[in-house]
Amino acid sequence: MRVVHYLNQFFGGLGAEERAGGSLEAREGPVGPGKLLEPLLGSSAQVALTLVCGDNYAVENQDAFILAALEKIRSANADLFVAGPCFLAGRYGMAAGALCAAVQSQIGIPVMTGMARENPGADLYREKFYIIDSGENAAKMRNVLEQMAQLAHKLLQSKPIGAPRDEGYIPRGLIRDEFVEKPAGERLVDMALAKFRGEPFESEMAPASFAAVPMPPAVKNLRNAKVMLITDGGLVPKGNPDRIQGSAATRWGAYSVKDRAALRAEDYEISHGGYDAQFVRQDPDRLVPLDVMRELENDGAIGALCDEFISTSGLANPLSNTRRMGREMAEKARSLGVDAIILTST
Amino acid sequence: MIGANRLVLGNGIVHVVGDATISADEEKKLRRRLIEKALAALQSDAR
Repeated sequence: MRVVHYLNQFFGGLGAEERAGGSLEAREGPVGPGKLLEPLLGSSAQVALTLVCGDNYAVENQDAFILAALEKIRSANADLFVAGPCFLAGRYGMAAGALCAAVQSQIGIPVMTGMARENPGADLYREKFYIIDSGENAAKMRNVLEQMAQLAHKLLQSKPIGAPRDEGYIPRGLIRDEFVEKPAGERLVDMALAKFRGEPFESEMAPASFAAVPMPPAVKNLRNAKVMLITDGGLVPKGNPDRIQGSAATRWGAYSVKDRAALRAEDYEISHGGYDAQFVRQDPDRLVPLDVMRELENDGAIGALCDEFISTSGLANPLSNTRRMGREMAEKARSLGVDAIILTST
Repeated sequence: MIGANRLVLGNGIVHVVGDATISADEEKKLRRRLIEKALAALQSDAR
């Protein structure tokens, strides 16, 4: 069995942050964690090739990075692709996840990786493939690799995969049929009674989890601050140039309001299937309050209004998707030198 | 989170910072009040 293993510059032994800009390199045989992984995969397994790339390069040049990596994985005749584990390293997780997704869809071999639940890569890709929950501590490397190897074996042999807590992977949100002794009503009453008695029980519904997001500090002086408007009410220029979907949107747009005193009804439309948009169509300032923000800017109450506002439609959207868009919007705002944001939500 | 002091209650889902039932002048005043509340919230420590 031929394995290709992906590592970032740190685990690949190139160096720390100063080497994060390095492009993709290929090494014959196992490197670093790959040397631990190879024997865990069994005597027939061989880490034929190790790909190493700097975290910044991989994330900033994702398309070129993936194209180059896919070519090398193809020509290595790999039976299995392994990435990481990445623990809590965000850029590493994003790169490993993107690469696993590309290998899975374009080469069609099993993929295996490991990340901490809080890694943004886990958030983005956990529904697409199995990601072993690595925790944050890289000292657990051996344990994590053991779990990755075990699960990879099952995938390669098409063996049934158990529940997340049994196999150690991050829940994918899959719903599977299962034979049980008791009907739903009895199970429910058992759970209610256990809860009443203060005994442990396990819900069959996994609630959506919201990681705690630290609130940004107060803006000290708005008179020097650049303020941006964002909306999830689906206000888009006529013709919806970015084709932002009216439900479960995967895209967002930034639109110029430079030198404008107010939004004109004839310039905009609404792409949002979740509210009666007639009033906003009549006057878009009812959603994106440009007229008032311009007044406040002229009065000196705020330093400046950002030349662009950001818009998407916030409706029936999976968390993994909205988190990605939120990160992208935050990057955009940062690149424009924004100090504060007012987000209007329908 | 409902109740967080960085969250300002708007004037209904269909016109968060507007009101189709009042005059344009009154509506703009309402919008300005809501945005001034938001600016005050931005300058307050989050609780």
